[in-house]
Amino acid sequence: MTQRQLDPDKIDVILATDCGSTTTKAILIQKVDGHYRQTHRGEAPTTVEEPVADVTVGVTNAATEVGELAGRKLVDENGEIIRPAQGNEGCDIYISTSSAGGGLQILVTGVVEEMSAASAKRAALGAGAIVLDVISSNDRRRPHEQIQRIRELRPDMVVMAGGTDGGTKKHVVKIAELVAPAKPRPRFGGKYRMPVIYAGNQEAAALVADTFDESVTLSVVENVRPTLERENLEPARDCIHDLFLEHVMAHAPGYNRLMDWTDAPIMPTPGAVGNILRQIAERNGINAVGVDIGGATTDVFSVFDGVFNRTVSANLGMSYSISNVCAEAGMPSVLRWVHLDMDERELRNRVKNKMIRPTTIPQTLEALVFEQAVSREALRLAYLQHKEFATTLKGVQQQRTVGDTFSQLSSGQSIVNNMTLNLLVASGGVLSHAPRMEQTAAMMVDAFEPEGFTELAKDSIFMMPHLGVLAQVHPTAALEVFERDCLIYLGTCVAAKGRGKAGKPCFRYEIEGPSLREQGEMAVGELKLFPLGPEDRARVKIEPRRGFDVGAGSGRPVEKEVRGGTVGLILDTRGRPLVLPEERTTCRQAVATWTQALGLYDD
Amino acid sequence: MTRQFSKQLHACRHAVLCWLLLAAMPPMLQADDPPAAPGSLSAVDHPNDVGNAIDLTWEPSPDDRPDVKPPRVIQYVIFRQEVDGDGEWLPVGEQTYGTTTYSDKQVERGHSYLYRVVAVSPEGARSQPAATTEPATPTMQWFRKDRAWFAIIVVFVCGSVVLFISLAKRGHDLYVRPIPGLEAVDEAVGRATEMGRECLFVPGIQDINDIQTVAGLTVLGRVATHIAEYDADLDVPTARSLVMTAARETVEASYLSAGRPDSFNEDDIYYLTDEQFGYVAGVTGKMVRDKPAACFYMGAFYAESLLLAETGNAVGAIQVAGTAMPSQLPFFVAACDYTLIGEEFFAASAYLSGEPFQLGTLRGQDVGKLLGGALLLVGCTVMTIAVFNPDGTAAAIAGFIKNHILGGAGFLP
Repeated sequence: MTQRQLDPDKIDVILATDCGSTTTKAILIQKVDGHYRQTHRGEAPTTVEEPVADVTVGVTNAATEVGELAGRKLVDENGEIIRPAQGNEGCDIYISTSSAGGGLQILVTGVVEEMSAASAKRAALGAGAIVLDVISSNDRRRPHEQIQRIRELRPDMVVMAGGTDGGTKKHVVKIAELVAPAKPRPRFGGKYRMPVIYAGNQEAAALVADTFDESVTLSVVENVRPTLERENLEPARDCIHDLFLEHVMAHAPGYNRLMDWTDAPIMPTPGAVGNILRQIAERNGINAVGVDIGGATTDVFSVFDGVFNRTVSANLGMSYSISNVCAEAGMPSVLRWVHLDMDERELRNRVKNKMIRPTTIPQTLEALVFEQAVSREALRLAYLQHKEFATTLKGVQQQRTVGDTFSQLSSGQSIVNNMTLNLLVASGGVLSHAPRMEQTAAMMVDAFEPEGFTELAKDSIFMMPHLGVLAQVHPTAALEVFERDCLIYLGTCVAAKGRGKAGKPCFRYEIEGPSLREQGEMAVGELKLFPLGPEDRARVKIEPRRGFDVGAGSGRPVEKEVRGGTVGLILDTRGRPLVLPEERTTCRQAVATWTQALGLYDD
Repeated sequence: MTRQFSKQLHACRHAVLCWLLLAAMPPMLQADDPPAAPGSLSAVDHPNDVGNAIDLTWEPSPDDRPDVKPPRVIQYVIFRQEVDGDGEWLPVGEQTYGTTTYSDKQVERGHSYLYRVVAVSPEGARSQPAATTEPATPTMQWFRKDRAWFAIIVVFVCGSVVLFISLAKRGHDLYVRPIPGLEAVDEAVGRATEMGRECLFVPGIQDINDIQTVAGLTVLGRVATHIAEYDADLDVPTARSLVMTAARETVEASYLSAGRPDSFNEDDIYYLTDEQFGYVAGVTGKMVRDKPAACFYMGAFYAESLLLAETGNAVGAIQVAGTAMPSQLPFFVAACDYTLIGEEFFAASAYLSGEPFQLGTLRGQDVGKLLGGALLLVGCTVMTIAVFNPDGTAAAIAGFIKNHILGGAGFLP
């Protein structure tokens, strides 16, 4: 890996690639009129598998395509990226992310599942990994079952945590004594020494080291849970990234060469996405949620009050996992979002067809409506899982007063609060490639149920991974491109929290902007869309009725400036939590009304 | 002669004056006359009893009027004659003037009686009696119809207990509101495990005959199961020898059920002292030395509650308390992380065990409480409305609730 000293002011052309499981996506970022803009994009099949078995071939192909589109020679005769940029040739920096070959897969261990093990899992997920399993003292498996499980898995690395500093040694060593004889086998290479990161009780580190032989590479980092009141994930995350490059990538086909090409460490794709979302939230002082719905998995990222969380819902996706979505949510739950008359048997066939032919895209209106209904449920379930995971720390001593007699809230409450959510970013095929932006917005609003004022945006060409890794070497360029080219703002959703009888008044609204001036009252159960262009802003005043809250408390008015977008301003009085009528005909009528209000499909 | 005539005239005048005076004072002349007799007297069997009372009702004597001053009737005297007896009229009771009912509770079931009532003047003159024409016979009733509402409510509550037990037995999932204090047991034991410290369990300072101690030992069973699963350490100092024995058996059973009988160490549960503050000194001293990460106080506590809870707080433990001692609850709430309050503490065993009998009983009791709460709410509302509209429907409903559902003839004794 070449670690050149880079002068940010002298960087004009940036090439970034994301090596996915199936395609390698390349983007070109150039300085235009003093601002960094994403100018061209190309893609090529990933070549990590046989017969090519060299990831750089796919990278070169994608870079060549971008180069051709840009009229710029990026790859030389030897198939290498040309650097630095000179005239119409080459780029100043080249960076890459990778999720090829299933991404980074980690086995996590800890003492108590909800405490140290949860912290270790958060560190692994935050680093962009897929957590294969969590082994802990209280996971209700007998030791032989735990050993059996470790032997069955083929992780890229093991992250071990447990005990506060000065806490238990017995349990930590016990877990180490399960992992050591089980000798988890790596996915790549016979000479591969399994990287084990120990991020537990520092006083037990020597005992843990004694447990392992030379078949593993043990790295001891700071405790992820030095005390139960504090989490310290950064050292473990950094170590995961380092080992990802040193061990995992070094053994993947062609990655050694790719690492030499890049000017910044290769990051796991989800880790990079989380990185850029964290930076945006931090810079703008906002709470943000990002989602990436794929064929097999759905990633949810959130930053609330500066705390970053990521979850991977391994069985919620739109192609390989579509059957599981239907099974987990139930067909009636999926069908409630469909306003057309559909035969359930036919739909089941559609689901199975999509699973066995994952790359097909809907050809009829019915197929599109159904797929988008499934996506709503997949996103909803993934978000629920995320809410359950993104919690305050457990095992923390509470301070109470006599006033708390009847409201003894326990720790471990979710930190995800839709009312304080400012920005919701969507990416993934079904959201990014929906024929109409309104459909993307509708899917997001229905699945995530944002409350109060929430901006909706989508990642135009799934550029967030590239920008995440770019943010490490050139934050200015990354944030500029993120604002200007990465996000397509769909608009703002204003939704009232609370429940009421359909038809009863919910709130009064006044909208004042250069291009929009409206006022009126909305009843419970309505959706309204007002056109407000991407460059437009408007002041919106909402006066909710008692029992409804748009951010200032029940019945209290709120006035805010909202951003427009390709969809516009959505006013939603359907209530939160969103409950659809149970009776099928009534439900269809309601959904049809909302569909019409947002202009989702042609009549 | 003239002088004699004058004397005669004077005597005549005196006689006329006396006559006039006597004529002007007729009541004084009638002072010994008996008052008028009371009106028709009726005697009926007292309803809803075991047959030991007869109720009498009569019309008041015409002289028993509030406008007559001084009153001509001072009381009524009631006489009874047993039909099959010796024919003697016995006085059985007295009632003051203005009263026209009497309940004779000195009768025997199945015997027949005749009654008389006489009005008595202040001088003791008695009126002619008012008498019953038909004999009255006290009989026993099998059901007290006046307590029908009580029966309905009892049947409703007991029926709901039986119904819920039956539902629980058939596998219906009976929802019991999660109790944060019990949910926190996991968390507290987890904290102790992560920190490598022990869990302290104090089962109160009362003996095993106190229901709170028994409830505390139920919770100990749950705590010990978790400790066994987590392979953490337990410490149970007791203030009574019998509690120690019961606690040892409870903990041993928990370790067995968790599949870790080998980890059970009976020395973890030990007797300290019966002396209240000696016990406190022993426990708090150990807390300061060993710094347990989780403290559980479950049972009956007195002045030691705050001493224990404050010490636990100071050593940084997660503390879960449970007691039904109202005076100690505020201390526990303020110093502990979670507190099981009164009923919650007793409900804990049902919540923890998940047994159909206990769950069904818990739910049935809840139905009773719900009914009580609803009646309270309706009663308050109706009574409030009745105050503003005394002749309206609300007043009628309030009267019905007061006289039939509640009150002496209803739900309340």
